[in-house]
Amino acid sequence: MSHEGEGHQIGYERLQSKKSLKEILEVATEFERTARDFYTALIPNVSKRIRYLVEELATEEQGHFDLFNELAANPSIENEIERAVAVPVSDSRFSDCIQLPDLGENPDDQTVLQYALGREQAAMEQYTALAESTESGVIHDLFVFLAREETLHKQALEKLYYEVVHSGGV
Amino acid sequence: MSDIDYKEKGSILNPLKSLQFFARKAVTEPLEPRLASLSYRGFHLNDWELCIGCSSCQKVCDNAAISMIEIPGLPSDPLKGVRNQRPAIDYGRCCWCALCVDICPTGSISLSREYVHTCTQEEIDSYFILPDPNGIHKKFYGYGWRKVADSDLLNLKRGEMGERSADQRSDNFDEIVDGYSLEQAVAEASRCVQCGMCHDACPTHMHAPEYIRAIWQQDMEEAVRQIYRTNPFSHVCGRICTHCCETACSIGRRGDPVAIRWLKRFAMDSLDHETVKAIAAQDKVDYLSGKQIAIVGAGPAGLTAAFDLVKLGHQVTVYEAQAEAGGMTRYGIPEYRLPFDMLDQDVDVIISLGVSIEYNTRIGVDIELSQLQLDNDAVLLALGLQLGRSTRIPGSEHAQVTKAVDLLRKIAADEAFDVPRSAVVIGGGNVAMDIARSLARLQRQQYGESRMTLTALEDLAHFLADPVEIKESIEEGIEILDSRGPQACEIDEKGRLIGLRTWKVLSIFDEQHRFAPSYDESDEQLHAGEMVIEAIGQMSDVSLLGDELTERLEWNRGRLQVDEAGRTSEAWLWAAGDCVNGPDVVHAVADGHRVAASIEAVLGQQETDHES
Repeated sequence: MSHEGEGHQIGYERLQSKKSLKEILEVATEFERTARDFYTALIPNVSKRIRYLVEELATEEQGHFDLFNELAANPSIENEIERAVAVPVSDSRFSDCIQLPDLGENPDDQTVLQYALGREQAAMEQYTALAESTESGVIHDLFVFLAREETLHKQALEKLYYEVVHSGGV
Repeated sequence: MSDIDYKEKGSILNPLKSLQFFARKAVTEPLEPRLASLSYRGFHLNDWELCIGCSSCQKVCDNAAISMIEIPGLPSDPLKGVRNQRPAIDYGRCCWCALCVDICPTGSISLSREYVHTCTQEEIDSYFILPDPNGIHKKFYGYGWRKVADSDLLNLKRGEMGERSADQRSDNFDEIVDGYSLEQAVAEASRCVQCGMCHDACPTHMHAPEYIRAIWQQDMEEAVRQIYRTNPFSHVCGRICTHCCETACSIGRRGDPVAIRWLKRFAMDSLDHETVKAIAAQDKVDYLSGKQIAIVGAGPAGLTAAFDLVKLGHQVTVYEAQAEAGGMTRYGIPEYRLPFDMLDQDVDVIISLGVSIEYNTRIGVDIELSQLQLDNDAVLLALGLQLGRSTRIPGSEHAQVTKAVDLLRKIAADEAFDVPRSAVVIGGGNVAMDIARSLARLQRQQYGESRMTLTALEDLAHFLADPVEIKESIEEGIEILDSRGPQACEIDEKGRLIGLRTWKVLSIFDEQHRFAPSYDESDEQLHAGEMVIEAIGQMSDVSLLGDELTERLEWNRGRLQVDEAGRTSEAWLWAAGDCVNGPDVVHAVADGHRVAASIEAVLGQQETDHES
């Protein structure tokens, strides 16, 4: 886990330093891949009772990973792939979340959900900031689309969090 | 016939008498019927938007002229007290007495000023009609007899329930509600129209119309007999049931719903305990089946299943981790709402039938679940939601930050703990109210005053707690702060907890009603307290299953997966109550019945297979 964390710290630094759309998408794709791998590795470490949650997160991240690969192969994106993009200064939340945490031996559902929520929040803010820093056009539309995707996922997780944590106490 | 002089022998000139009319002016009448009076009792009208299909009109009709017809496509929701049925009138039977109008709880039925209908023999069925707002011939002739206050057969006002004032109750755990007198109970029972909406809405389908009628007839043994048909936790449910029956009560459409819960309480309190035990034992079989069943958890679900199974001749042993039975009804509900001796009576009835309870026995520690599997023909898990959830905000790991369920358990078990002079509760549900009110009582007993603050994410209109709980909490001096989002439990430089820091909640849910709290960070408050109590949610402790069985079992989004009858993916294991459904007593009772029926069916099938 700590090894992966170091890898992601490097990835984060790369994200800050890169300027072309291609490089941004590469780092973002890597961001999704490592998240998928993180959740996949976590599956056997959690109780079967809450395994559905980690499996769903892994599946969701796989979907994001596939999406980024498709985007990279999209002709309209390909045409813009070398275009320089003013990458905004990523906020500290994004920095915190890009480093994979140690959730402990046998994390419970609340721990997993809190981590996932923080990560989705950071991704949403990052893509929103990227969208705001680009002019109208294909690249802007791309980041708006990605921000919306992350927002939807975050909202779904928030609903689940409320059901899991704030239930049964009435 | 011979003695009747039927052969007219009038004058031969009689036909000429008619000539006298030739000179008179002809009298003409329109073919249209004359307009009837304003209170005329003509053909029925029924406003389908108001009608809830309760069938009160059918039940009051002495001529059996009304049938309830199921209408596909109409909404049907037992919990809201709505059936997809509408009354149809057989005018071959109807005498236009209008009792159907006078009793209608919603006022949907009225009589029109229309009174003419003729047809051929082939159309004779047209005298059987399904009234709507337009009239029998789709022409509105105006309203005739309608429901007015003078003719309304319903008493819309509930009998007042006496209770202790805030001053009388706020420094003790005495029961707040007085209960009805016989006179009050009979008067309240007389308000019921026997529609049965309550029966449909109740998770365990209690025979409320039957026991209410028995109370009205002052036959309390019959009332308790009807109660015990479906609910062995009747003292408990007579006090703290969530009473969805009353939400569905048709009288509640225009007035106060019948106080069904208080009537149940009255009936139960009316009989001496030995008589209740005798009634409960009336349909117990007089043989032993030779089957042994283990039940884990002596809460309402487990003990209801035990009640059913022991009456079927099975040997039932219940394993309870705590020192006494009742589960969350004992260790989660304060005594001012549910006196322990009332719960004790319900439990004692069940034990009197032959159920054995092993107290202070924790499965997975004192006995392994695998041992129960070996020793029994079936095992039932009936676990409650005994673990509290934490906000996990900064500082929440402090020793003076505790869960409401843990503290309620200590109070119920009379365990000693340092009562804080001031405390802050996080949560807006009934558990939050329970712990705030309990601690306030202890504070008054020890310090002569209470300083309790309750904060919740929700605004007051959307608290999950019952409105009466909120009202009584405020009366007892609990400071309730709504729309406050907990941010941190504040700790001073000496490591002492000093309170809870919150932000103003701007919204909790987004447009799609998804949980997405947003805050006004500039509106920050520190609520002083020596203790912070989290009452946000609960979960079951399923650690007793162990890793191996946890892996073998199928799960459904964090809960044990069970079929409709409560059986898990392991053939020997059932689950019921809050750990799979819930969380309230009457749902647990319903679950206990369902699972007991499933166990009985499986054991019976095994017996049949063995014999063949």
